[in-house]
Amino acid sequence: MTKQTEPQSRGPLSRFFDSFEETMIALLLGLMTLVTFVNVVLRYGFGESLIWGLELTLVMFAWLVLLGISFGFKHTSHLGVDALLNIASDGPRRIMVILSAIACVIYAVLLLKGAWDYWAPFAGFDATSGRWFPTGFENSRDQAWYETEQIPMLAWLRWLEPLFNQGETYEKLPRFIPYAILPFGAALILLRVVQATVRIIRGLQDSLIVSHEAEDAVDQAAAQSKET
Amino acid sequence: MGVAILFLMIVGLLLIGAPIAVSLGLSSMIFLLVFSETSLASIAQSLYQAMAGHYTLLAIPFFILASSFMSTGGVAKRIIRFSIACVGHMRGGLAIAGVFACMLFAALSGSSPATVVAIGSIVIAAMQKAGYSKDFAAGVICNAGTLGILIPPSIVMVVYASATDVSVGRMFLAGVIPGIMAGVMLMITIYIMARVKNMPKGEWQGWGEVRASFADAFWGLMLIVIIMVGIYGIPGITSAIFTPTEAAAVASVYAFLIAVFVYRDMGPLAATSEGGARKSLLQKPQALVTAFFHRDTKHTLLEAGKLTIMLMFIIANALILKHVLTDEQIPQQIAGMMLDAGFGKIMFLVVVNVILLIGGQFMEPSGLIVIVAPLVFPIALELGVDPIHLGIIMVVNMEIGMITPPVGLNLFVTSGVAGMPMMRVVRAALPFLAVLFVFLIMVTYIPVLSTWLPISLMGPEIITR
Repeated sequence: MTKQTEPQSRGPLSRFFDSFEETMIALLLGLMTLVTFVNVVLRYGFGESLIWGLELTLVMFAWLVLLGISFGFKHTSHLGVDALLNIASDGPRRIMVILSAIACVIYAVLLLKGAWDYWAPFAGFDATSGRWFPTGFENSRDQAWYETEQIPMLAWLRWLEPLFNQGETYEKLPRFIPYAILPFGAALILLRVVQATVRIIRGLQDSLIVSHEAEDAVDQAAAQSKET
Repeated sequence: MGVAILFLMIVGLLLIGAPIAVSLGLSSMIFLLVFSETSLASIAQSLYQAMAGHYTLLAIPFFILASSFMSTGGVAKRIIRFSIACVGHMRGGLAIAGVFACMLFAALSGSSPATVVAIGSIVIAAMQKAGYSKDFAAGVICNAGTLGILIPPSIVMVVYASATDVSVGRMFLAGVIPGIMAGVMLMITIYIMARVKNMPKGEWQGWGEVRASFADAFWGLMLIVIIMVGIYGIPGITSAIFTPTEAAAVASVYAFLIAVFVYRDMGPLAATSEGGARKSLLQKPQALVTAFFHRDTKHTLLEAGKLTIMLMFIIANALILKHVLTDEQIPQQIAGMMLDAGFGKIMFLVVVNVILLIGGQFMEPSGLIVIVAPLVFPIALELGVDPIHLGIIMVVNMEIGMITPPVGLNLFVTSGVAGMPMMRVVRAALPFLAVLFVFLIMVTYIPVLSTWLPISLMGPEIITR
């Protein structure tokens, strides 16, 4: 098992982003749990339910994961197989790790194009043309009138209507709002993957993966048992 | 041909150390772009729908959260005390209590590594102090910890249910008897070894201690009752109260309340210094509100969130691969090949065992299930293998994958928790691994072990293809 070093230079800005991301993850998971719980209580206690509860929870689930993937790349917490890395000598190992980093960059680029192409028509923008890489914009059909099934439109988002829906009112929350996490999350993933690749090439980080999910917890337990 | 390249690419990427999720996702993307009409946009869509379109998978973050509150909340300590009070006086009692504690904790949490960390970090040290060898202690906990995914609730079972559209409730029930059986088999083995090697035994502390420790652990153990009664109802009194997903959410809220307001090991009412007194709610009534925003609460949510993200990233990408495989009709082809080769039920199950044992060496269990389940499921139906039974076989295979090198998850965790080199843990776990192998064979060839409980409680299942 290799120990990962956290990114070294920690300015106030990066601390702010860290704490922002951490808060978002905690908040989304907390809200998902509470909404589901409240819905159960309402059903049995009062015979009614929040009709948008389930859909909102599922949207938050998607937001949690898609936002979190980039966080995982930043903190090197994604799972991988390190059996071969551990027995390779330094030179080949370095080449393997750099190759794997490049694979991640390609993945992120393709994902970002796909995410934009999927989201753009829902927000009235144009998807990109090209099969593998964006070669320009094609004229996509405006689908900004698509709404979510049940989530109500929020009053403070009404300013979106003239911008996206030609002034028509939205009855429900338009779809491009929950889907927006796709391009946003994918862009963040690309950013974090590129940063990690740079760190690897500069020799500040020695791989992109951890070998198992409980590495933090194990470290804590090991530290505790040393103390006592 | 294309599919062979696809799999070579996945394995290649895995071996050079790319994240599992990226290996699966990137290979599938490239395959789809080259060989099919699918656009990147629809791949992005399926990534989003992996979360937003799978109500069943929504149970995963909730079960992880409930188990996080339970493990930070000092429940493990109370369960261990109760276990020692019950069986600690037998020869090899502490080891048997360790297995018992793992079984109980497995019923609170859906993950094996979590079980090893929670129980192992306390019991291994205690066993050494009582005169057991460190190797023996590590071997016991390493194996007993795998019960985490067999005894319900179980994250791996949720993934299987979601991948094959069987009921989560049935899967959970099906795990009960095999789970208890595996635990008892481990206990008997330990007892025999303890007899032969004359291992230490503890004092019988009397029924008073059993009662007191049970009362102390009661609030934690109630979680099991809430989940089970919630999903299945009480026979004759009430039918099912909520879905497994809702049960998981209720369990999280319950675990939070217990950890913060009853056990007070975390949150605003916890003791501020080591050995300090915990505050009561009367002293600090504002805790009712502040508990939700307390540092510890946020920390637990964040840890659970990170684990959810890690697993779902893999599952979401495995789902893309699953689409590739079903689009290419791979399951049908494999089924055809196997049926042409004249494979019967027995041979098929052996093949499944072998595939999973090998795959389990390299892949995270839930990701592997997402990929393998749709491949073997249609064949299983064809051959008349019960879907629930197949699920339990897969889960038990995953358990064994967790304790066999090179990539056994529980081996890593145990070696970390016990502070022992990997190879020593592997050797220590070996005798009990043999027990689990016998158990696997029993589960594979005696289907009634898995199917009896769900069928007798929930009626015969309706198989949809």
